[in-house]
Amino acid sequence: MTLGRRRSLWALALGLALAAALLLWPLAWARRPVTVRVLMPAPFADATAAMVADFNRSPRGVRIEVTRGPFETEAVSDLAISSLLLGDSPYDLLLMDVTWTAKYAAAGWLQPLDPWLGPEALAPLVPGARAGNRIDGQLWRLPLLADVGLLYWRTDLMEAPPRTPDELVTRSRQLQGQGRVPWGYLWQGRQYEGLSCVFLEVVHGFGGGWSTDEGEGMGLARPAAAAAAGWLRLLVSEGITPEAVANYAEPQSLQSFRRGEAAFLRSWPYAWQELQGEGSAVAGKVGITTMVAEPGLPHAATLGSWGFSLLAGSAHPEEAITVLRTLTGADSQRQLVRDWGYTPTLAALFEDPDLVKLRPQLPLLRQALNAAVVRPLSPGYAQLSDILQRELSAVITGGESAGPAMEEAARASRQLLQASGREAAA
Amino acid sequence: MRLRALLLMAPALLLLLAVFAWPMLEYAWLSLHAQSVFTGLEPVPVGLANWQRLLGDGRFWQDAGQTLRFAGVSVGLELVLGLGIALLLHQNWRGRGVVRSLSLLPWALPNTVMALGWRWIFDDPNGPINALLGGLGLATLPFLASPQLAWIATVVADVWKTTPFVALLLLAGLQMIPADLYDAFALEGGTPWQALRRITLPLLRPYIFIVLLFRLAQALGVFDLIAVLTGGGPASSTESLAVYAYLNAMRFLDFGYSATVMLGMFLLLLAGSALLLLLPRGQEVRS
Amino acid sequence: MTDPGMTTTTSAPSLRLDNLTRRIGGRAIIDGVDLAVAPGECLALLGPSGCGKSSVLRLIAGLDTPDAGRILLEGDDITRKPPQRRQVALVFQSYALYPHLNVSRNLSLGMEIRGVPAQEREREVTSVLAMLQLTELAQRLPAELSGGQRQRVALARALLRHPRVFLLDEPMSNLDAQLREELRPQLRSILCAGSAPVIYVTHDQQEAMGIADRIAVLSNGRVQQCGTPKDLYLTPANMFVASFIGRPQINLLPQEDGTVLGIRPEHLVATDDSGIPVRVLNREWHGASQQLLVSSPQGDLRWTCDGAQPIGEGLRLGWDRRHEHHFLKTTGARC
Repeated sequence: MTLGRRRSLWALALGLALAAALLLWPLAWARRPVTVRVLMPAPFADATAAMVADFNRSPRGVRIEVTRGPFETEAVSDLAISSLLLGDSPYDLLLMDVTWTAKYAAAGWLQPLDPWLGPEALAPLVPGARAGNRIDGQLWRLPLLADVGLLYWRTDLMEAPPRTPDELVTRSRQLQGQGRVPWGYLWQGRQYEGLSCVFLEVVHGFGGGWSTDEGEGMGLARPAAAAAAGWLRLLVSEGITPEAVANYAEPQSLQSFRRGEAAFLRSWPYAWQELQGEGSAVAGKVGITTMVAEPGLPHAATLGSWGFSLLAGSAHPEEAITVLRTLTGADSQRQLVRDWGYTPTLAALFEDPDLVKLRPQLPLLRQALNAAVVRPLSPGYAQLSDILQRELSAVITGGESAGPAMEEAARASRQLLQASGREAAA
Repeated sequence: MRLRALLLMAPALLLLLAVFAWPMLEYAWLSLHAQSVFTGLEPVPVGLANWQRLLGDGRFWQDAGQTLRFAGVSVGLELVLGLGIALLLHQNWRGRGVVRSLSLLPWALPNTVMALGWRWIFDDPNGPINALLGGLGLATLPFLASPQLAWIATVVADVWKTTPFVALLLLAGLQMIPADLYDAFALEGGTPWQALRRITLPLLRPYIFIVLLFRLAQALGVFDLIAVLTGGGPASSTESLAVYAYLNAMRFLDFGYSATVMLGMFLLLLAGSALLLLLPRGQEVRS
Repeated sequence: MTDPGMTTTTSAPSLRLDNLTRRIGGRAIIDGVDLAVAPGECLALLGPSGCGKSSVLRLIAGLDTPDAGRILLEGDDITRKPPQRRQVALVFQSYALYPHLNVSRNLSLGMEIRGVPAQEREREVTSVLAMLQLTELAQRLPAELSGGQRQRVALARALLRHPRVFLLDEPMSNLDAQLREELRPQLRSILCAGSAPVIYVTHDQQEAMGIADRIAVLSNGRVQQCGTPKDLYLTPANMFVASFIGRPQINLLPQEDGTVLGIRPEHLVATDDSGIPVRVLNREWHGASQQLLVSSPQGDLRWTCDGAQPIGEGLRLGWDRRHEHHFLKTTGARC
């Protein structure tokens, strides 16, 4: 488990092997096209398959080889980390979730992109999509797709969406009372990353945040955090949200809403396509907006985005950057928006008339991106989020009341930061 | 004589050392170091800090309690049900061979596949159990969304999966008991129930002991079933120590503390096994 | 060994099997067996393996149920009674001792489950241990006993059942030949001391003759003949019984009139010139006696004679007419 030593040994062995190979077959190496290996979650591997095939057909001396990872976000991370821990990763590029960046950078698994892309690499992006890529002044990731938390509402049941938490509750009760929907509001309440995303929007709507100037996670000690957690519990205890929400991830909440079982849904942009598709009971009856907030407070949207990082162990960083540029370029993003309904990160694409015609929700998504809030950019983010999820889950299932639970989450977060500070100093 | 015995045992001891002692030493070394994302994954000596943290870590002790409860209840149920099934399969009846093979199916299923199946079965409201409850006009139950029900779901899934294994081991034990003993006992006036208590159970004791050892070790290390079925939730109510150690290593990249959790778990397991070894087993002790 | 309060009439049979039949898979493994055993009598069931003798025991014990016929024990029809309520004891070929219990617990378990008070249990176990010279072994597990010791424990357990009939299934087959001969008189004296009848299953005719008052020879699920050892030896009812009783086997010489002439090897004598001329094929000399295989115009013959008998050229053998047995070639029945 002594990673440093093992890695350097591996590096030495690999270096020797490479040197031998280069001495023995210089010509063969020179002629060979360089293969750039990319690990992506399954949905993105599928979505980029055509582009990759196009790229490989053109004679550039570079081939892309995509490894189709698992579907679930965390499973992809587990796969990447397992290979990174063993020493040099077999991949050159990794398509990463926004929350992984700080951790991977701190672990020393990434190469900064500034030397390759220059200081203005993020300039063409919509402001909301710029967050979460630059840490401590270094660029570690270039986003391909933006993702943002949205409130889906039923246009057949109301004229306009609710804008405050109270409105959402009142509207839900009304519609449930009339027997028009079994449930009011569906969201992601399983003890997993999605729950942190849900909470982040609500806590901003109550005038708080996850982090403060005092540090990451310290916002949980503020009254807004208890109010937000209390509101989520209220949704369950009042029967606006089913108890089963404590086991809901994205698919469960989306499927239920798709069957017409609720008035509101918190989800990501990709849900739009699903809700309009065949077999949906709510096709053509869905609107999107940002999360509710107390009067006068900003409507927040949790930022989630996918972007490419260059792994430190890459043997062909130059070729890998070529691939990174191509896959995050305008043509590529346009294709992903057009064919798959994903949300782009390049500002220009949100104003592209052809795309807007095809995807009328684009301006709304841009608005949401402007309201985007970022989860703490800490190497210890996974643990901070885990602390929050655990307490939130206890609140939602009625095991703990909101106030003490959020205090406990703040305490645990503080302890973590202190311990990490000590470790970093040592 | 002793030297020769030692020499004969040497390969086995070396193997044990290589596969068991070495990783343990590595863990022990690691538990005295901070090696995390905050240290750039470089090991930094921190003395007993990790152990101090473990002792005060409510989550570790909560998970230890949950793991113990899970292992105790599921292995207990598996033993009772497994014995029942073994006794049934030991009888002569038509189609017994087919049932014997079929009953092993759950055991042959990969844990993750099985856990996904149960996730569907316990789904609220679309799983078959809730469909049945709904069909009977009863309220559906949030099996995986309630801390009180979710751990029962993990036990049910584990019992379903491993009872066949227990039954098979005990069946092997039953088949080692000569039929003559039961005939002799019946002729002495013993009822089948008395035979179970006076002959079957005492003679099965070595097998029950093996089953207990195997299953407890397995159940105390439960990981994939929980990772897939509940992810440790809700409110960490189903989280096992193995899941916690995994989170620390693979999600938090905190290898020093993960090693400490693993070792802590191992020490608890050792204590448990020692307790088990103190139980009388096998042949009756001569006075 | 029998209950002191129980009285048995000596005239009426203690155990009667009435047309007992057991079929398995359409084949009768026991086919209309009628037997009666008197109180205190020892009856051997003798036959080759697979003849059904152990199955008869299991039926009497209640471990199996007959398809037809009745079992009467002391006038009481027990055909359908479960084994627990028959009050019979069976000594298994394997002895079936409880491997996890020591000798004294092996002996007391039965009484314990029958609700015999602890004091009485201890008294009985102590006395039977002493009787069978097992006292020293009381704390040993069955695995720590020799074959002969195990047999004694099994016997002791049977005695403690105070059975209305003793059943023994090849109790000697796991012992070596010398031990068997030593134990035979001991076994007989223990078993036949009380008034409960004994049914002793064996495939060894010597053992049967040595231990039993009467022998029932079984073949193919039927009783071929039932009588005292002497009856069976002197007047075998058919060729099967004739060849099964007596060693070496009786010589069977087919005659031209459709009968078979039986003459036992020990009844052949060397004669001067009236006998049939024979040639020696093989000779085993045992000291006191010798056994020869000779060829004659009528076929090969087994001959047992005194060890001192000189064997020379021009040997002729004859026999006394009184020792002749005649059987029908077709049915094998005596005629």
